[in-house]
Amino acid sequence: MSFITKLFMIDCHEANNCCDKAQYKDAKPLEKFRLYLHLAVCKACRKYTQKNRKLSRMIKKSKLETCPEEKKKQWKEQITKTYVQDNV
Amino acid sequence: MPAHSLDPNKWVDKYSDYLFNYTIVRVNDREVANDLISETFLAALKSAKYFKGKASERTWLISILKRKIIDYYRKINSRKGKAEVKIHYSEDYNEGEWLEEQVPDQFDRTAEDEMENNELGLAILECLDSINEKHAAIFKRKTIDGADTEAICNEFGITPSNLWVIIHRARTALAACLEKNWF
Repeated sequence: MSFITKLFMIDCHEANNCCDKAQYKDAKPLEKFRLYLHLAVCKACRKYTQKNRKLSRMIKKSKLETCPEEKKKQWKEQITKTYVQDNV
Repeated sequence: MPAHSLDPNKWVDKYSDYLFNYTIVRVNDREVANDLISETFLAALKSAKYFKGKASERTWLISILKRKIIDYYRKINSRKGKAEVKIHYSEDYNEGEWLEEQVPDQFDRTAEDEMENNELGLAILECLDSINEKHAAIFKRKTIDGADTEAICNEFGITPSNLWVIIHRARTALAACLEKNWF
């Protein structure tokens, strides 16, 4: 019994961690199973999971993009060059 | 002492993603967006001495970018020749079509949604300002770029459990900030 408990029961801290991973599809099947088992008994974590999913949906909906790294590097060099020129 | 000051060395890290997402919905072309941002940075450096510190750095940069976007449209418009002006409704053959044309069409609604989604994106980026810069960068790599956990860990020299703690804190902060500023 205690072995099974140890294998499947997790605390809220661990559950939130699994939930975060699940948002990025990084949770292993066992972790997911533990999470759902925990959610069945814990109202606080159900709420957290709900909020977390909503945040993921919002981020997906916003279609955010980042600039390519090489562009950023280029801009940085440009700024440093101009900035130094102006201040010497 | 002014409430805000400029720190050009941090502009790219702090604002380039924001400026990019702001521009991309307005010009709809990556290359053009990148050029406009680069022009914005240069123009900002040139007029840095006129910055009075009344607005935040971001607001100030956006106001310059707005001018650049307007200039861009002026330029491509003059290239095409004069802007066309069409007046339909005084012409006879168009009579009777008036009411139908007033019905909102599906396309308009999606355009509005797109705008709102973009504003949401900008709000998210603004909220990320409140957390540690490095953590924000890690969060963006993971969430927006969708990079592998392992790749990010190598890039930033952290362990996976570090990463998840950072992601967790960022998500909590972001959720709280959006709740306050978006709804």
